[in-house]
Amino acid sequence: MISGIQADEKGRNEKAPLIQVKNCTMEFPGVRALDDVSFALMPGECHGLVGENGAGKSTLSKCIIGENHMTDGELYVEGKKIRISTYSIKESQKLGIQVVHQEFQLMADMTGLENIFIGHYTTKSGLIDWKALGKKAKELMDFLQCDVNLNVPVKYLRTAEKQIIQLAKAVLSESKVLILDELTSVLQEKDILNIYRIIGILKKRGMGIIYISHRLNEIFECCDSYTVLCDGRHVKSGNVVDINKAQLIKMIIGREMTQAFPPVNQRFGEMMLEVKGLTAPKAFRDISFHARAGEVIGLAGLLGAGKTELVHAIFGSHKIIGGEIYIKGKKAEIKNPRQAIKLGIGLIPDERRTLGLNMQFDIKDNTTLPSMDKFRKFKIFQDHNAEAKAAFDINEKLELNYYSLWQNVKNLSGGNQQKIVIAKWMLRNSEIILLDEPTRGIDVGAKFEIYKLINELTRQGKCVVLVSPELEELIGLCNRVYIMFEGAIMDIVEGKRKTQEIIINSLLGVSENE
Amino acid sequence: MNNIDEKAKRYNGGWKLFLKEWVILILLLALVLVCSLFLERFRTTNNIMNILRQASFTAIIAMGEFFVILTGQMDMSISSTIGMISIFFAGFVVKMGLPIWLALFLVLIIAVIIGIINGVLVVYGKMPSFIATLVVMNVVRGINYLYSKGLPISGLPDGFNFLGSGYVGIVPFPVILMFIVATILYILTAHTSTGRSFFAVGGNMEASKLSGINVKYIGILAFVFCSVLTGIGALGLTAKTLAGNVTLGDELLFDVMTIVVLGGTSLTGGRGRVFGVVIGALFLQVIGNAMVLLGINTYWQWVVKGAILIVVVLIDSNTKRDIVKTKQKIQPIIMEEK
Repeated sequence: MISGIQADEKGRNEKAPLIQVKNCTMEFPGVRALDDVSFALMPGECHGLVGENGAGKSTLSKCIIGENHMTDGELYVEGKKIRISTYSIKESQKLGIQVVHQEFQLMADMTGLENIFIGHYTTKSGLIDWKALGKKAKELMDFLQCDVNLNVPVKYLRTAEKQIIQLAKAVLSESKVLILDELTSVLQEKDILNIYRIIGILKKRGMGIIYISHRLNEIFECCDSYTVLCDGRHVKSGNVVDINKAQLIKMIIGREMTQAFPPVNQRFGEMMLEVKGLTAPKAFRDISFHARAGEVIGLAGLLGAGKTELVHAIFGSHKIIGGEIYIKGKKAEIKNPRQAIKLGIGLIPDERRTLGLNMQFDIKDNTTLPSMDKFRKFKIFQDHNAEAKAAFDINEKLELNYYSLWQNVKNLSGGNQQKIVIAKWMLRNSEIILLDEPTRGIDVGAKFEIYKLINELTRQGKCVVLVSPELEELIGLCNRVYIMFEGAIMDIVEGKRKTQEIIINSLLGVSENE
Repeated sequence: MNNIDEKAKRYNGGWKLFLKEWVILILLLALVLVCSLFLERFRTTNNIMNILRQASFTAIIAMGEFFVILTGQMDMSISSTIGMISIFFAGFVVKMGLPIWLALFLVLIIAVIIGIINGVLVVYGKMPSFIATLVVMNVVRGINYLYSKGLPISGLPDGFNFLGSGYVGIVPFPVILMFIVATILYILTAHTSTGRSFFAVGGNMEASKLSGINVKYIGILAFVFCSVLTGIGALGLTAKTLAGNVTLGDELLFDVMTIVVLGGTSLTGGRGRVFGVVIGALFLQVIGNAMVLLGINTYWQWVVKGAILIVVVLIDSNTKRDIVKTKQKIQPIIMEEK
C-alpha cells in the first residue's frame, strides 16, 4: 500500500496539498473533540494551527499522524486517500510525517551525533561508520545553518540546541511534513528567531509545516496561513496577511478582548520584601531589589540569567552564599521552604506538573497541602470538612472549571491546574507571591484570567514578584522590571522607559548608550 | 452545580473506580467462599482463627514496609531486622537476665536506630534505598551471627507466650493486636497531616518540598515506622516459639513485599491503603492454608506466591492509564490537551 502511494504521487501535479483533511469528526466516548473540521497543507507552506486548550489542535494533529483514528471524514496525504482503519504512526512516518514536541525525545547521555542517527546508522563491514556519519551530520548542520556541538552528551546542551537536534533528526528522515507542537513554549526570544530561520529553510525545500503555538505573535511572524479551532469546531482558515491580531484573538476565544491587561495597581503600602546583595554560585550575584505591598515587580532575562534560581533562593529552595533578605523590614533567615512559608511567602514554580502539583492527589488535597496546619481538630487530626469547605471557597472564587473536589488534578487543563497552584497560596494567605512563568503553556483565555488574578492580589495589598519570558506580560503587569543578564541586574525600568526595545537591549547585555 | 455539598461529596469515578481500588477485597471474599464450599476442614472456626493468627504478625510487618513503599522507597533490611530483634530480645532476657519491660524497651531502641540508619543513608546520603537497605541487611545479619554464633536462644518465660498464642475469648491476641495497629495507622494516614505527607512525598517529592513539607523528616520517619513495626512483628514471632532465632525472618521479605503490593500500594509511591495491606496479608495466608489442606507440597507455595506477585505487579504497571481514561469519560468538559 505504501509503495503504491509513492509511485502514484510522481504523476500528480505539484499543487496537490501535502495533507488534506476533509470533514473530520473525532469522537471520544462522551465527547466530540473534533466536529467537521477541514484542513489543507500545501508544500512549502507554514500553517499555523491555533485555538485554546481543548479546542482540538492536538487531536487534529494526532489524527494526521495516525495516533487517533478519526470517527468520520477523509484524510489525503499527497493526494492519495488513506485508509483510516489501518492507519498508524508507523505508516505516517513512512509517508514522511514527523512530529517535534516541546518535550525532548532524545537520549540524554548520548551525543548529538548518536541521537540524530539513532536507528539510521551507516555501517561499514558490520561496524558503525562514525566518520561517514560525522560528515553527514556536518552537511546537515550546514544546511540548517546552525552550529551545535554534536560530540557531547545532549544533556549538556542548552534547550534551544536540543530543539535543533530534534529538528535535524526530522530533516534527516526526509520528512515532507513537520508538525511542530508547542516547540517554542520553552524557548527564549533569541532562539525562537533561530527556529523561524530554520523553518524558512525547510519551506524552501518544499516541506510543509504545521505550527502549533499559544504565542500568537509567532503565527504572524512565521506562518503563511492559519486555521482556527474553537471547541472542536472549525472556525476559519485563511492567509495570515489578511488578518490582524485582534481579529485572530476574537476568533480563538469567540469574543472580543478589549484590553489585554488589567490596569496596574498604583496604591502601595509598606515595604514587604527587600533583597540586598544576594549571591549564589553559578546562578546570580549581588542582586538587590525591593517590593512594596500592592506592587508587581518583574524579573526579565534570557534562559540562564538566574531568574528561576533567584526566586527559589528567596523561597529557601536554592542555596545562597551571601546577601540578606528582609521581610517587612525584618531580617529573615530562610533556609528552607517551610521557613519561607511561615514568613508568608508563596512560590508558583515554572514546572506546574513536576514542581507545582502533586499529580496523584485530588483538587482538595493539592489546594490545602501548604495549609494543613490550619485545619486541625484537637491539635492532631485533620478536619476534612473544614479543608473541603476552604478549598471549595477559594476554587469557586478563582472560577475553577471542575467537577468534584475529589477529582484528580491530572486531567485538568493547564490553566485550571495553574489556578490550583495559585489557590494553594491564596488559601494560606501568603503576602509575598513569587510567580515563575505562570502562563507557560496555557491558552489566551486562561492567561487573561491569570493576569486578572495577579491584579486582584495586588489590590488586596499583596506583593508579587513575576518572572516571565514574555516581555508583553512584564510591561503590561509590572510596576517595575528588573532585567538580569548572566546573573546580575543589568537595568531597572519603570514608567516611560518600560518599552520592548530597552528591555530587549538589556536582556542581550547591550547597554543603552552603545 | 455551585453547591459545596455537591462538589465535595461527588466521588470522582463512581462505584466502578471504587471496585477497582478494592478489587483485592472482592478476590479475598471470592477465595474464602470457594474454599469454604469445597474444603470441609477450611470452614471450621478453628481454622479461620488460625489463618487470622498466622497472618497477623506478617501483616504488622507489611504495614511497616507499606510506609516505606508509600514514600517511593524500599526496605530490604526487614528480614535481618526480625532476626536481630528476636535474638537480642532473647539474649537480654535469658542471657543477661533483664526484666521483660527493659528488654522490650531496648529492642525498641534498636529498631528505631536501624530505621534511622536506613533513613539517613537514603535521605541524606541520597543512596538508592534498594542498595542502602541491602547493605544494612547484611551488616545486621553479620552482627546477629556474631552475637548468637548462629544458635537459637531458648528459655523465654512462659507468660511471654501470650503475645504469640494467647486468646481473648475465641479471638487470638495477635489478631486483636493487628487490628489495633491497623486502626491506629489508618487514623494516622487518613486523618493527620503527617500521614498525608507520606502520600505527598511519595507522589511528588519536589512539589511537596515547595509546599512546605519537611520531606527529609518524612523520609526518615517512614524507615523508622518500618523497623519499629518489624520489631513488633518479630517479638510476636519470637513469642510463638519462646526462643530467639536469627533465621526467623529469612523467608519473610518476599511475603511482605507481595502483601504490600497485593494490598494496592503503588510501587512508585504515593498510593495505597493501610487496610489494603491487611487484606493482602489475609489473601496470601488463605492461599497458603488452602494449599496445606489440599495436601500440596509446601514448596509449591513459593511458586504460587511468585506467580501472584508477578500478576499483581503486571496489573499495577499496566492499568494506571486505564483509570485515567475512565475518569475522562465521566468529565468530558475538562479534557486535557497537551
